[in-house]
Amino acid sequence: MSKQNENSMGPERHPWVSSFLEGWSIFRQNLLGKIGLTLLVMFALMALCSYIPPWISPIYDPMTGVDPDITSCSGPCLRHWLGTDFMGRDILSQLLAGARIAFMVGISAAVMSIVLGVSIGMTAGYMGRFIDTLLMRLADMIMVMPTLLVVLLLSAVFGQLNIWTIVLIIALFRWPGVSRIIRGQTLSLKQRPFIEAAKVAGASHFRIIFIHIMPNVLPLAFLFMTFRVTSAIITEAALAFLGFGDPGTVSWGMMLQWVWKTGHMFQAPYWLLPPGICISLITLSFYMLGRAMDEVLDPRLRKEDQTD
Amino acid sequence: MNTQDESVLKIRDVTKVYKGKGALFGASGKDVTALDRVSFDIFKGEIFGLVGESGSGKTTVGRLIVGLEDVSSGKIFLNGREVVGLKGRARKEFRSQVQMIFQDPYQSLNPQRAIYDTVSEPLKIHGVGNASTKRDLVREILQSVGLSPPDDFLFKYPHRLSGGQRQRVAIARAMVLKPTFVIADEPTSMLDASISAQIFNILLDMRNRLDVTQMFITHSLAAARYLCDRVAVIYRGNLMEIGSAEEVIRNPKHPYTQALLDAVPKFGHHRDVSRYGTLLIKDRDVAGENGCVFFPRCAVALEDRCAGSRPLLGRVSGEHRVACFLVEGA
Amino acid sequence: MALLEVDNLSIGYNTKKGYLKAVEKVSFDLEAGASLGFVGESGCGKTTIGMALMGLLPPNGSVKEGRILFEGKNTLEMTDEELRKIRWREMAMIFQAAMNALNPVQRVGNQIAEAILVHDPSVEKDQAMDQVENLFRLVGIPLDRLRDYPHQYSGGMKQRAVIAMALACRPKLIIADEPTTALDVIVQDQILGEIKELQKEFDLSIIFISHDISIVAHMCDHIGVMYAGQLVECGPREGVFESPAHPYTKALLSSFPTVTGKRSDLIPIPGETPNLVVPPHGCRFCDRCSGPEASCSTEPPQWVEIAPGHRALCCRC
Ligand SMILES: Nc1ncnc2c1ncn2[C@@H]1O[C@H](COP(=O)(O)OP(=O)(O)OP(=O)(O)O)[C@@H](O)[C@H]1O
Ligand SMILES: Nc1ncnc2c1ncn2[C@@H]1O[C@H](COP(=O)(O)OP(=O)(O)OP(=O)(O)O)[C@@H](O)[C@H]1O
Ligand code: SF4
Ligand SMILES: [Mg+2]
Ligand SMILES: [Mg+2]
Repeated sequence: MSKQNENSMGPERHPWVSSFLEGWSIFRQNLLGKIGLTLLVMFALMALCSYIPPWISPIYDPMTGVDPDITSCSGPCLRHWLGTDFMGRDILSQLLAGARIAFMVGISAAVMSIVLGVSIGMTAGYMGRFIDTLLMRLADMIMVMPTLLVVLLLSAVFGQLNIWTIVLIIALFRWPGVSRIIRGQTLSLKQRPFIEAAKVAGASHFRIIFIHIMPNVLPLAFLFMTFRVTSAIITEAALAFLGFGDPGTVSWGMMLQWVWKTGHMFQAPYWLLPPGICISLITLSFYMLGRAMDEVLDPRLRKEDQTD
Repeated sequence: MNTQDESVLKIRDVTKVYKGKGALFGASGKDVTALDRVSFDIFKGEIFGLVGESGSGKTTVGRLIVGLEDVSSGKIFLNGREVVGLKGRARKEFRSQVQMIFQDPYQSLNPQRAIYDTVSEPLKIHGVGNASTKRDLVREILQSVGLSPPDDFLFKYPHRLSGGQRQRVAIARAMVLKPTFVIADEPTSMLDASISAQIFNILLDMRNRLDVTQMFITHSLAAARYLCDRVAVIYRGNLMEIGSAEEVIRNPKHPYTQALLDAVPKFGHHRDVSRYGTLLIKDRDVAGENGCVFFPRCAVALEDRCAGSRPLLGRVSGEHRVACFLVEGA
Repeated sequence: MALLEVDNLSIGYNTKKGYLKAVEKVSFDLEAGASLGFVGESGCGKTTIGMALMGLLPPNGSVKEGRILFEGKNTLEMTDEELRKIRWREMAMIFQAAMNALNPVQRVGNQIAEAILVHDPSVEKDQAMDQVENLFRLVGIPLDRLRDYPHQYSGGMKQRAVIAMALACRPKLIIADEPTTALDVIVQDQILGEIKELQKEFDLSIIFISHDISIVAHMCDHIGVMYAGQLVECGPREGVFESPAHPYTKALLSSFPTVTGKRSDLIPIPGETPNLVVPPHGCRFCDRCSGPEASCSTEPPQWVEIAPGHRALCCRC
């Protein structure tokens, strides 16, 4: 073929790329999504900035940095823009570190639960019969178990839990919802002729699930991820506030717990409010993002059959 | 005349009953007999047409052959070898020899995969060739289904192609392994009439050059006449007439085949072609289940005989066989 | 005076890629009681014409130029109110794939009754139900299926219900857009037969749209062949099918298998339809044509009269 053709051929845009661009243009018109995204970018910047204060001076270390001049909780001043806690630790640097932990917990727990939920949902939907029943009963069982209670029990048995253990537990408790949705999608995809064509060509179950079905359910999974992040952050905050968090990390929930434990609930609003507001805002922003994505994705999910 | 040895596919007394889904919603719990003791042979190198109206069981035949559905009873042989219940390597080998082209090209290609991925998939699954020979094979097959230059299409995604182009990709996927037998299930019913001819000619070309035996499922006798060497007419899961395409279409014996021919819109010089008038517009009420399946709609039925027993396929002449009491020899 | 006169009609759509010229300079007329069939490949603008006649173009579509005279009055200059008066009562449309658009949660009979009530407020509810029964009789649906839901109907019955809906206000003109495309031959034949009978009975004018020439030939006295937004050949059925003039019509006819006559090889039309955002400058069929002349790709072709009432848009004729 002519050279020109070779050039013009180039790898085409993957449908994901073009749907992303198209989705982005819908997203941009969505106020909720824009607010959510702006807030998230802010929090992400906070998380990034969390490395700066300890680098300036060890007294700003959120966990161990103690201002030698201050021995009790004090209000905002030049050296400590948001004040200090009861040990003289800088609240601003704790807040920044908390943002990092929130992202870490939220995203890793969400990713894990999505990976679990998607694999289990696809397997259940595709294999059907006995495996389906088994997996879905398991999902039901987990779904009705109160997460907090189980974590409380676990930490009563094993003592203080490490932050990663907490992430893992959250993930283990949050996949059933995802897997139900993904299973539904898989059930409808399974009937589609392109799956049957792959079967006729001799594709293994593994190949069909991971090469043919997965790319078609992933957009939905990403949507769910934003909602899962929200719930993971809240769960972690609740655990930390109740005193079952990882004592070695500074999360917003942890900060709230310190406020409460040292009896500053109503004495030190500069200490109580920032983490409280941050938790609300970050969950709200992920939620708004999720809603906006839902809107972007929804019409496409409905009309996906009639791509022209 | 063709001998037994030459048949690529043998279907013997195949019955398929779809079990009604639980009696949860009352009437919906009924079983559907989609195929009722169907037997026929498909010979090497021919295109065999399966013609019938909607719901007559054409797709079911195809799905049973490729194993997307299990037979309720009966046997299917490919090259003399039973294919029902194949396992392991034998099954994989069977998979490389029998392919299917689906009705709706808008549904039969994975929207997330580029054309190259779709067409090369059978090669990957059966471990044919290395990266560069695979690409050459894909190029070659794309070229022969008329997607040229192939390089323009390799990395396109299905949503960028027209219906006709998509169907060609589907044909390329089915043909890339050079299978012995391919089933084309109404490959043009979702396409424009003027694009259908392209698809027909590609299928003919595949037969002539690659020697791929095919079963062509359609409800259009005109298409069957153009494409097929032999046709079978199926009604409610029962074979009504089978024979060479020209025989069956020019000299139909079964009232149902005649009704099908009557229903084809005619144009040009042949508008006044004689009508057989063998179809009742309103169905007859029937009591028993034993009669001819076409009896409820047959305008020329013998009330006493046709309602009571079911006619078997009987030879009219040569390969031409008909299941009707009115036909000599049947 | 003809019932419908369409003059130099051009229609376009605003799309992301630019202004799409879906219909260009189409003219035809239709006498009362006559039938006209439009045939052409997918995307050639058949539905667009139908929608424009009904005044139901989608928001991004607009008529660029031309006139649509229905009983001598230009519908393009009518107010919405006036249009609403003639729509359904004077002319009705059987929409493409309408049988899949029946409301799945409403009984079919009620849906049709509702359509009648909406278009004719003077009708009482009981009267409407009576009318529905008549319509069902007319299109051959058993009356005991009145209270069924669409999913309980077969494809053919759904299509009959849709036809009944179009007939509800006894219009003079019916535009039938691919009314049988999803149906198998036998049901198709029955429905086409019924449409023909209804036409005779009520002296209906019909515009019949299909991509299948055999159906159009079966149904209509006059044929318009469309290609890429243009009418390329137009005339009485016998003229168009027995002595086709335009290369596209010839190509269409030779790509069509038949059950009668000699079995001849089909000659498919090579290539793809042109892009309608930037249509070719000369003849739009030029690069798929079997024997174009040098001037074809540069000069827009002119109408040529083949026989009285039979014309083609080609410079080779
Ligand atoms: N999965 C299924 N479960 C229950 N019944 C089925 C199933 N698939 C098909 N049937 C029934 O079996 C009969 C034959 O169906 P089949 O799809 O083989 O018809 P067909 O000849 O291919 O029709 P068409 O021309 O509409 O494709 C029909 O009555 C149909 O309703
Ligand atoms: N709402 C729309 N917006 C933009 N372009 C449109 C719209 N509707 C139709 N078109 C374009 O206008 C052209 C004519 O479309 P139209 O639906 O009239 O074709 P058609 O002949 O009815 O085709 P078919 O046989 O597929 O129904 C096509 O190129 C189509 O892509
Ligand atoms: S056997 Fe009788 S009912 Fe059946 S097709 Fe022949 S004549 Fe009709
Ligand atoms: Mg079928
Ligand atoms: Mg249309």
